[in-house]
Amino acid sequence: MRCTDCGIVVFGPATFCQSCSSAGLEQIDLARDGVLYSYTIVRVPPPGWPGPVPYVLGEVELPEGPHVLAEVIECAHDSLEVGIPVTLALQPVSMPDVPDSERMVYKWRPAT
Amino acid sequence: MTQFRPGRDVYVVGVGLHAFGRFPDQTLSDLARDAVVDALRDSEIPWTAIPVAYFGHVYYQGMSVGETTLAQLGLTGVPIINVENACSSGSTAFWQAYWGITSGVFDLALAFGAEKVPGGPVTVTAENSPARYIGGDHMMAGYALRMTRYMEETGAPPSALAQVSVKARRNASMNPYAHRKDTYSVEDVLNSRLIADPLTLYQCCPTSEGGAAAVLCAGEALDVYGVDRSRAIRIAAAALTSGNYNGRGSDHSAFSPYRTEPAALQAYEMAGIGPEDVDIVQVHDAATIGELQQIEALQLFPYGESWQATVEGRTALSGDMPVNTDGGLLAMGHPFGASGIRMVHETVTQLRGEAGPRQVENPRVGVAQCSGAGDVTTVHILTR
Repeated sequence: MRCTDCGIVVFGPATFCQSCSSAGLEQIDLARDGVLYSYTIVRVPPPGWPGPVPYVLGEVELPEGPHVLAEVIECAHDSLEVGIPVTLALQPVSMPDVPDSERMVYKWRPAT
Repeated sequence: MTQFRPGRDVYVVGVGLHAFGRFPDQTLSDLARDAVVDALRDSEIPWTAIPVAYFGHVYYQGMSVGETTLAQLGLTGVPIINVENACSSGSTAFWQAYWGITSGVFDLALAFGAEKVPGGPVTVTAENSPARYIGGDHMMAGYALRMTRYMEETGAPPSALAQVSVKARRNASMNPYAHRKDTYSVEDVLNSRLIADPLTLYQCCPTSEGGAAAVLCAGEALDVYGVDRSRAIRIAAAALTSGNYNGRGSDHSAFSPYRTEPAALQAYEMAGIGPEDVDIVQVHDAATIGELQQIEALQLFPYGESWQATVEGRTALSGDMPVNTDGGLLAMGHPFGASGIRMVHETVTQLRGEAGPRQVENPRVGVAQCSGAGDVTTVHILTR
């Protein structure tokens, strides 16, 4: 969402601007590519984690400004580096043993 | 931006702890009660004189635990408020107690907190929240992200981060209340198993159980209650903030130090001092990186230089800026509701000169900083 009053961009749905509290938010298409601001390889997952272990968690900076946290898939651990380009990946995810829990989830993968 | 109008002087006149660790045979109320009794004894003020109490805790152990705990000391009918503010729940209860007195509403107040934190990685969102699908609801993963970035930006080596844990363990080995009292070498810390790279197990605080309490009194009521003025420690500032956009934008990493700066600046302004006046500091070191970034956010060291200060021993008990003198979260352990008041306990104990083998030489100004999920930060400044 972009604030039509102060111009800042935030990731995800919002009703009011985080910076100036304006209600003038408009939906925009964010870039599908960003750069890895930071990363970690999670060896001990949180309770209920529906994916593989270990998994890579990446904090990605978009050109519009927001940082987007998501799993980084299809990456060799030794190729991880701050600043590498990544691109959006979408995958369906279900919570184990929870009926009707499938959701389309955004992830990152290294840009080729 | 000044958002406060302090009134009367307020003092901490009693502090108490229940040891931190694992106590399967004790309830949350048991831990809280023992800390309260300890603090009341220390203050020499009877429970029947206390007009209000604030209780910090997070994990559900039944409703109104503050009330059922203090009922064991006698049903005096006073207002008792249960406070949940994540890892800052205890320090938020303390903040409320301060404002209840400085505003002139009460002459005395009790702040206490306790917790029985379950084992394993700590999560903060509801089950099936988007963060659970993304894999981002993981406290130590959040710290690991900050650590990767910090090391990249500052050149801090892994051994410098490990030194934070080594120092914490050394301080805690002189503290009978600590969850972890055995000491480690840098190699031990680096060779412990990886939790979320580059964070190893011994760089993460234990999840713990424990209790802490403090009795507060208006300066003008000290003589009314027969308080020993030589042991009363003044609260020079009490700041509590939530997320502040602050030009930084959304930051998904838990406990970003950017969130600490506004609370720190508010507290320094309120106390009429600057970072150069601080003698000792307790900060939210849930992971090693947390300590380094918080002492920079408190402006005690320039950005990117706290790791060198740590390696040089400047943050050790014998250094020029002793940090987490009781072992901090890393070695004391982290019972959420108790930790913020535990920091006050240590600050008061040091300023009174009663810290025994871990006593810092003649401190006069102490800072206690506590972070919590939801961008909560508290900064308290105590002076003698």
